[in-house]
Amino acid sequence: MIETVHLSKRYGSLRALSDLNLRIEQGKVFGFIGPNGAGKSTTMLILATLLEPTEGQALVCGYDVMKEPAAVRQSIGYMPDFFGVYDNLTAREYLDFYAGAYKIPASKRTALIADLLELVNLSNKADAYVDSLSRGMQQRLGLARCLVHDPEVLILDEPASGLDPRARIELREILKQLRAMGKTILISSHILPELAELCDEIGVIEQGRLIACGALDDVSVRARGITLMLVRTLTNRHQAGRVLSQCPLVKDLEEQEDGFRFRFVGGEAEKAGLLQELVDAGAAVTYFGESSENLEAVFLAITEGVGG
Amino acid sequence: MREFLSNPILVKELRERFRTKRTVWILALYLLIMGGIPLGFLLINPLRAGTLGENSELFLISAAIHYAMICFVAPALTAGAISGERERQTLNILLTTQLSPRTIVWSKLVTSLAFTSLLLAASMPLYSLVMLYGSVSPEQVVKLVLFFAVNILFLGSLGLFCSTWIKRTAVSTITAYGIAFCFVVGTGLLFFFLGEILQQVDPDRYSHLVVWNLPELQILAGLNPVIVLFAILDESLMPSVEFAFTPWLFFDSCYLGLSVLFVLWSGYLLRPVRRRWWSWKKHPVRVQ
Ligand SMILES: Nc1ncnc2c1ncn2[C@@H]1O[C@H](COP(=O)(O)OP(=O)(O)OP(=O)(O)O)[C@@H](O)[C@H]1O
Ligand SMILES: [Mg+2]
Repeated sequence: MIETVHLSKRYGSLRALSDLNLRIEQGKVFGFIGPNGAGKSTTMLILATLLEPTEGQALVCGYDVMKEPAAVRQSIGYMPDFFGVYDNLTAREYLDFYAGAYKIPASKRTALIADLLELVNLSNKADAYVDSLSRGMQQRLGLARCLVHDPEVLILDEPASGLDPRARIELREILKQLRAMGKTILISSHILPELAELCDEIGVIEQGRLIACGALDDVSVRARGITLMLVRTLTNRHQAGRVLSQCPLVKDLEEQEDGFRFRFVGGEAEKAGLLQELVDAGAAVTYFGESSENLEAVFLAITEGVGG
Repeated sequence: MREFLSNPILVKELRERFRTKRTVWILALYLLIMGGIPLGFLLINPLRAGTLGENSELFLISAAIHYAMICFVAPALTAGAISGERERQTLNILLTTQLSPRTIVWSKLVTSLAFTSLLLAASMPLYSLVMLYGSVSPEQVVKLVLFFAVNILFLGSLGLFCSTWIKRTAVSTITAYGIAFCFVVGTGLLFFFLGEILQQVDPDRYSHLVVWNLPELQILAGLNPVIVLFAILDESLMPSVEFAFTPWLFFDSCYLGLSVLFVLWSGYLLRPVRRRWWSWKKHPVRVQ
């Protein structure tokens, strides 16, 4: 569905993207993760036919973005990271405008717009002016706008940025619905946990290079067994702290209310060894396992020191 | 026609424009100025049966003010057309739809022109009053309306071009006014100075009578809207030019051509990914 071959983009002497090879199958949700300035938006702009790559090729639904932009535009719904809305238009008219822009016959629009507003839970705001809607509502309206022409591929650039946790969850629910509808979705974020539940595959990009790509578990394993661990002890907390701080495989040790948090660089065998050491030191271990923020650790570990 | 009326940008722009109070204010203010001046003139020179049809001064004043208003309004209305979308961050979305850059450009132009034309049409009845005074033929009025229409189109497409070319609306508006100034005042000044300089440099060859009718200077004069406006109204400006061609026809065709050029160029500039007509950088430069 989406394929890039040796895609590169330079702004002057700055390499925003170098030699990106991506392959996203139909119906898959691909999470695109990277820190600020990694080149996520650049990739998406190229895929949305808004930016010319310096080198390489990008295909969407089999169409080349450079050679057949009109066909590509018809098959994608693109949501930029920042976008504005028009004043003095109601939500219904806003969608009607874009339906017109995609040359959808006027007779079909009324039903279509009602369906879309229903999908993004904005039916009750159909006649409100779009500039009076909240950020989260505008974001959902923007998503509805992407779907006006029923594209096969959705390219969403940080759709959750600037949303509160509740709005994020709502957005995620809508995206799950879209996944169930069989859309291929490319979604970017710099927060990995946000994508974890949603994505079939993730790609991690840093300084224009794709440094990890694959199913979520594969990527984690590829991170050289780095995991964020949580250890809780009942007694002898001091002893446990000493053991942990002496262990060479333990990085970024933090002592918190409920226990110790650290990054562990090692496989399963080393983990067992560490637990044995803790027990031998006399610490009463009540919890020894992966922390719930594990994904962030993976992200930090993967992106750490690349190109630096 | 149906196709034309269902153009989504036209519908959207008209909705946006006529829902704001500002539009009403602009129209009211405009009519106030345009109507106030002839009325003031009427107060100073009361209508007397004897003077009917002999005084073309009022007509000239009205036409000049009208022209000044057009110069003022037309570029401003289009100078934000594309850069406004860019500043509101809606341009990228618009470009990923099936609307081609060219469609976007001309739809924007049509909506702005529609508004300027509305202003012009709304003040047209004032001319009926003015015509009572002046010795102006209906033919001249037709030429004048055509002249105004061409100016609106030209200044509108100039503003549109600046707005496509320059990222910020404020800068694009100033640039549009600057370029418009070059055309309206610049050509006139150039015409005048060139004539004067030639007279001074070689008084024998370029006498006072000959110099203003040199073909080069005539073309310059034909490009200057003020001189052409006076020619249409059969009024003479200081250095009187005996045109070898019909000035209004020359002016209208030149500026129509320029407008088309600006619109096409804007359409080209608006393409996110431009086709290369020339390629001087065939091999990508290696960085590092
Ligand atoms: N128009 C531009 N001109 C010059 N450099 C640019 C331009 N747009 C982006 N860049 C550079 O390209 C690099 C990649 O930018 P990009 O916007 O793709 O990052 P991103 O991954 O989307 O980051 P973020 O998470 O902040 O959105 C950055 O270093 C940026 O400075
Ligand atoms: Mg970005």
